[in-house]
Amino acid sequence: MRKRLLFLFFAPLLTASFSASADFRISGKVIDLKDKPVKGASVYLDNTIDGGTTDSLGQFSFTTEEKGSQTIVCTESAHETTGLPIMIAGDISDLVLHMKDNLHNLEAVTITAGSFASNDRTKTVLNPIDVVTTAGSNGDVVKAMQMLPGTQQTGTDNGLLIRGGDVSEAAIIVDETIVQSAFVSGPPGLATRSRFSPFQFKGVSFSSGGYSAKYSQALSGVLDLNTNDMPDKSNVNLGVNLSGVYASGTKRWKKSSFDAGGNYFNLSPLLAVSSVSNGYKFYTVPMGGGANARYVWTPNKDGILKATFSTTYNKSGINIPNPTLGITDTTNTFNTTDAQVKYITEDKYYFGTISYRQSFKNKYLLYTAASFSYDDLNNVFDRLNLTQKEYRNQFRIEVKRTFTNKLSLLLGTDLQNYGVKKDFRFTQQFDETQEAAYAEMEWNPIYWLALKPGIRYEHSNLLNQDKVAPRFSTAIKTGNHSQASLAGGIFYQNANNIYYLSGFKPGMQSAIHYIANWQWSKNDRTLRLEGYYKNYQDLAREYGMGYSANRFRTNVIANYVDNTGYGYAQGLELFWRDKKSWKNTDYWISYSYIDTKRMYENFTASATPTFVAAHNLSVVGKHFIDKWHTNISATYSFASGYPYFDPAKATAAGFLSDRTPAFHNTAITAAYLHSFGKWFTVFYVSVDNVLNTKNVFGYRYYNNEKIAVTPGFYRTVFFGVNASLSQFSKDEL
Amino acid sequence: MKTLLLIGALTLGAITTQAQDYKQPLTKAWNAFDALPMEASHDSKVQLANKMELIAKKWDKDWAPHFYVALTKTILSYDEKDVAKHDAILDDAEKELGDAIKGLTKNTDETYVLAAMIANSRMAADPMSRWPKYGKIFTDNLQSAKEINASNPRMYYLKGVSTYFTPAAYGGGKKNALPYFEKADGFFATEKGDDIDKPYWGKKANTYFFGECKKDDKEVNKN
Repeated sequence: MRKRLLFLFFAPLLTASFSASADFRISGKVIDLKDKPVKGASVYLDNTIDGGTTDSLGQFSFTTEEKGSQTIVCTESAHETTGLPIMIAGDISDLVLHMKDNLHNLEAVTITAGSFASNDRTKTVLNPIDVVTTAGSNGDVVKAMQMLPGTQQTGTDNGLLIRGGDVSEAAIIVDETIVQSAFVSGPPGLATRSRFSPFQFKGVSFSSGGYSAKYSQALSGVLDLNTNDMPDKSNVNLGVNLSGVYASGTKRWKKSSFDAGGNYFNLSPLLAVSSVSNGYKFYTVPMGGGANARYVWTPNKDGILKATFSTTYNKSGINIPNPTLGITDTTNTFNTTDAQVKYITEDKYYFGTISYRQSFKNKYLLYTAASFSYDDLNNVFDRLNLTQKEYRNQFRIEVKRTFTNKLSLLLGTDLQNYGVKKDFRFTQQFDETQEAAYAEMEWNPIYWLALKPGIRYEHSNLLNQDKVAPRFSTAIKTGNHSQASLAGGIFYQNANNIYYLSGFKPGMQSAIHYIANWQWSKNDRTLRLEGYYKNYQDLAREYGMGYSANRFRTNVIANYVDNTGYGYAQGLELFWRDKKSWKNTDYWISYSYIDTKRMYENFTASATPTFVAAHNLSVVGKHFIDKWHTNISATYSFASGYPYFDPAKATAAGFLSDRTPAFHNTAITAAYLHSFGKWFTVFYVSVDNVLNTKNVFGYRYYNNEKIAVTPGFYRTVFFGVNASLSQFSKDEL
Repeated sequence: MKTLLLIGALTLGAITTQAQDYKQPLTKAWNAFDALPMEASHDSKVQLANKMELIAKKWDKDWAPHFYVALTKTILSYDEKDVAKHDAILDDAEKELGDAIKGLTKNTDETYVLAAMIANSRMAADPMSRWPKYGKIFTDNLQSAKEINASNPRMYYLKGVSTYFTPAAYGGGKKNALPYFEKADGFFATEKGDDIDKPYWGKKANTYFFGECKKDDKEVNKN
């Protein structure tokens, strides 16, 4: 009885509570557009905290006190939020909500034609660690690019040989300004290192064509290097290796930092353990040193100022194969007939840059940079003094306006002044100033489409020429993990400096690029296929003297020089990189095929230049052995034969029709990492050309004798240790 | 009857306070999340994270709910193996942290610590290619936190975890991580951990890692 009474007492209360806050159960499932369940999605009634989470079958269920007209909302990080109006008057079951995958929309399509871009979400780029851990790169960022598609192997030239272009047709850019004399100077025919350490750069982006309207004066492509921002913390770095010693230090304050470093090198020990090719005999071993300083200041969250200065000094004395051998012309008054000539190099180099970047509320981005390079060479070539001073001063300012995150416009202007003054029996010089303005738009009208039109105007004071160069690139997503890109444009460049030095004034040369690319990238695996066609026009051409097999000539002798040269290059390239299939293993395969012919400079017929091999292959593998804290890497490079000139085949059909044997190189490196207390050390050893292959880059003829053009070294062995300290007190964060 | 009315009044009271303040539901959700054992299913964690997200939507102007959504999402992101999805979760976490900072009107040591943790998780998604960029963001944020409050245990805890998972060859490992967990442990001991507006997360994990490091230390000593 009591119980019953109690129940009666309760009954109205219970119903009241039901009517005031009756719990209705809402259930259903969430699926994506492919009818697959969406797991972990939050499903809730808008403006309430009533909701549930979907299980692995996409099913959800929750209760609510709300009723009437409501909106059920569904959110999940990898999908677009969806909503559905519902009327709650009781339990609701079997609701079906559809969500659209936005994961692959987040990463808007990026233009990849012609370029190996660098940011943390793309994987095909070579970062500093990649550069130093790649066998055969010798820690040189430019050398490492020879393991990417579109480039040629070289042991005799300083620079990048991109898609049929010679080294003067590729520009090396640091913080958006071109670097003059980017390589340590050495004797002709002997490739030297670039002047940079890969650890100076946070980003390396390599373009083998179709590059931005920001740049010009490179018929082939650009290597765009971006220096580090503010260093992480104060540190000290010391190293010793087979060719020298170096030390550097960084002091970090809250809003600024200062670095300074110095090095001394001497190749004696290296030469002792390496196999020097027959042609080259050092009588003054290459030695020298350098110093550098850098200041970084961040006045506010969105601004950064960087100033750098560096200077290097080096000298060497070497007997080299006489580069004038095989030259048939007799008007060249300097024609020594010795098989070997002495070449002394003494080089002083100065390089400084200052740049400032500031963004304003993500709407405007201002960037300005200035740089200078000055290279002072005092060489002796077979008892004759050869002095050469090269300089370049540059200024750039640009503003980027971001209208929405899908549309931005860049406007900029740059000014360059450069020149060379050479004294070799007589004085030769030129001075060029170029003014340019450019505009470039980046537009992603929809996530699967990116468009980047650009235009550049430039004026040459030396040549009194005006040029307008349109550029265009686009990318379209072709699937969740793949995309297709197109790039093209007109690229202008002054003729090789030696013409202006020799008193000729050929006008600007041009190349039109058409590039198509398809890229698939998923989970650390990337496949890239690229095809291109380039049409060269207005190339400089000499008349009157015939072909000279000396690629390192410093003077042009001709009746006249004009712009009637022409040519083409076309090719197919493949790149595959896989960091996924095996743990701690990263490997890539790069293959390039090129078909190119030119009628330019002193060519007597349209032919493939001597530095171009039709097939180039690089296979690079790296593996980190956890247990031993050791990184090992091996690289195999191959190039089919290079064309060379046989004076007996001087006819149009025979001109440069012979090919050298194929080029092979195998390189290995190993690096062992170890911490001694707070010191982090790396011990490394590398062997280049392990098999001591006697590679040949061409032949020269002298008195019917066929002389091989070889690289300076065959097998080289290199080892050293680097130690760095960045933690100075125990509990430092 | 009186008792019943009292209960009714209390219940109603509870409902009204619940409707006015995020503190009670947020505390409940966070404590439940924090109490989950390490081996708890990912699903159960997501459920509570989603709950907090709803609380943040309802009390949109308040900083704390957004802060905890950012925190739980970041913690959950470490479980995600797909890099793109991992990033998508952290994009959400960053947005929530931004909303929290907006609510606070300025950064605090806790927001810097959380920003550091987000950077650490970004790095964890692809350590070999990301450490140069995110390692720096991680350090810079911890440094900023230290300038505001040098006795925040969570920054030592994070530094400890980051050291713990760095290979010994790069200066990481248990032995090098131990001093950080030890320092964090001392500061954690002074925290009451009863006010959701004064973040107290991390103690449990710190105790676990501290224990692991000590265990290893003993083993080494034995040998």
